[in-house]
Amino acid sequence: MKARMIEREDVLKIVDLLRRQGYEVIAPFSGRGRDTWFDTVTDENRNRIQVHLPNPYYAPKRFLLPHIERLMKVRRDNGEIKIEPTYREPKRAIFGIRSCDLAGIWHLDRFYLGRDFRDVYYDKRRKNFFLVNVVCTDPEHDIGEECFCPCADTGPAARDRFDLQVMDLGDEYMVVAGTSAGEALFAEPMFRNATEAHVEKRHAILGEVRKRFKTTTSWFPATVRYVSQGNILEKTWEEIGNRCLECGGCTYVCPACTCFTVSDRQVGPDEIERVRIWDACALSGFTRMAGGFNPRRAVHDRRNRRFFRKLAHYFIQRELSMACVGCGRCAAVCHGDVGMPSVVEMIRRATAANDKIQLV
Amino acid sequence: MAATENIYLPKVAVLDRVSDDIPEVRTFYWHFEDAAEQAQFKRFRPGQFAQVSLFGVGEFPASLPPSPTEDETFFTIREVGSCTAALHELKPGDKFAVRGPYGNGFSMEEYYGKNLVFVAGGIGLIPLRSCIVYALNHRDKYQRIQIFYGSKTPQELMYLPNLREWQQSAGVECYLTVDRAADSWSGNVGVVGSLFKKPGVQVPVDNTIAFVCGPPIMFRFVIKDLLAMGFREGDIVSTLERYMKCGVGKCGHCCIGVAYVCVDGPVFTYGQIKKLGEDI
Repeated sequence: MKARMIEREDVLKIVDLLRRQGYEVIAPFSGRGRDTWFDTVTDENRNRIQVHLPNPYYAPKRFLLPHIERLMKVRRDNGEIKIEPTYREPKRAIFGIRSCDLAGIWHLDRFYLGRDFRDVYYDKRRKNFFLVNVVCTDPEHDIGEECFCPCADTGPAARDRFDLQVMDLGDEYMVVAGTSAGEALFAEPMFRNATEAHVEKRHAILGEVRKRFKTTTSWFPATVRYVSQGNILEKTWEEIGNRCLECGGCTYVCPACTCFTVSDRQVGPDEIERVRIWDACALSGFTRMAGGFNPRRAVHDRRNRRFFRKLAHYFIQRELSMACVGCGRCAAVCHGDVGMPSVVEMIRRATAANDKIQLV
Repeated sequence: MAATENIYLPKVAVLDRVSDDIPEVRTFYWHFEDAAEQAQFKRFRPGQFAQVSLFGVGEFPASLPPSPTEDETFFTIREVGSCTAALHELKPGDKFAVRGPYGNGFSMEEYYGKNLVFVAGGIGLIPLRSCIVYALNHRDKYQRIQIFYGSKTPQELMYLPNLREWQQSAGVECYLTVDRAADSWSGNVGVVGSLFKKPGVQVPVDNTIAFVCGPPIMFRFVIKDLLAMGFREGDIVSTLERYMKCGVGKCGHCCIGVAYVCVDGPVFTYGQIKKLGEDI
């Protein structure tokens, strides 16, 4: 991958460049306290874009998989039914997507575009998408209490899947091109050549940054093994389930959750639209069938479901990607402290405590 | 599959006629408006399902009771929720929409040379009807064919004309039972499993595939009976029902254990179902 350098004050010129090329650029902004969000860049807010800030809880996943997305319009006319699919293919770029969220998008790619059925709605939005990854280097601003990307092997610096990657080296920024589309931007004179010394500095900074994470779930691989082998006691799942308030918050903020429901709504006297809406396996109606039968009744069945889906080796192999990217959002929003890091820890501890030692 | 194909887009279907089966259950004969679509759809396998759209109400998964060897396409649907209620309101000539077929279906070709034992309870006969008709239309490919079917009352026996035909056919042994009946019923009274022990009934176990479909309680007891008879878990097959929104492995609603029922199922062996670890 080719790398160039850019002056510190020039880094937002990448945003300008993309906007000139016709992209709707989405970038992170911050308000008071922990409040941060992604928004479309305009002439008015361009100078308020933040390079270093806590990753917004509302993940950028929604620019590819909108919270509510229209699939088709259906019109009735004299007994005839006309079905018209509705596609959107905006030319969009995200500046400042974190490595964890980038891995989330990769997971969505594997899930929606892999295997037998391709999701055409996702495909069309994804096609014109340009991704500028920002490496988390500032322990004060970038790295949250709950972040654990080193354990999920997705960060702090993504190794691929980005068009451009921007990393703060102190006096200046290093820019790495991950695709030919990204490399094409290097034709601009603001990008200067990088040297071996820059690369060394990058490695040194990353080595230091890795030590600044406050949450580690170093039991991830062990937990994947226990879950895959079915070696988890029912009472452990129950304990996790008992802490779940069934708010669905973890799935709402998750950059790798994919479930949706479909709903029809009337938009005119003879016209309806069919939309898909994010859904959450934690909610009790998720598996309830017409007539009332619900194969998943107890709350721990549903909690179990989400963690099983993310941790079972079968699914990791099925998508060649893991549905947990280590962003820590579930841990940050969970009122019952059953985000991924604590669940991994609870499973590991319970399993370890289950040693059958006989005193002779 | 072409990259541009839209997996969520249903195609317009026309309702031809409706027949009453048992209380709350009707059979809806239909065809696609587009002849090419109809021809494509007709290549479904027994045990597959389709997504039925009633625009403005929603979409639901429905078993395919016809065999692909039959001319007509139809659904047999119990009125149980808002979508099925909307379907029950339709009149011949009305339009709705269908997409599919989806799911793995039964591997009827793999069972060539085997005995087939069908055990159904109530509307569990709907998905099995496809296999039974398919097997009877390929009669020389299979050894013995047995049907054990039970419902709550004689009035709730599904597909009565088919049942009579199967009872009179030389190539198939068809045994019926009901949970309770008035004096006019001369047949067996009792659960489906009671048929296995009737005098004159001999269920082949070796080289046999048992198809089981019915309400959860019936399923559990029949499985117990079959295992006691010596059936292997891998030789008992069934189809699972789940809430589904997409039918193509994306929406996540039907995902249990390591399987998406819509793409990895709905047909599973009992051995697989046991491992999935959820209520039937």
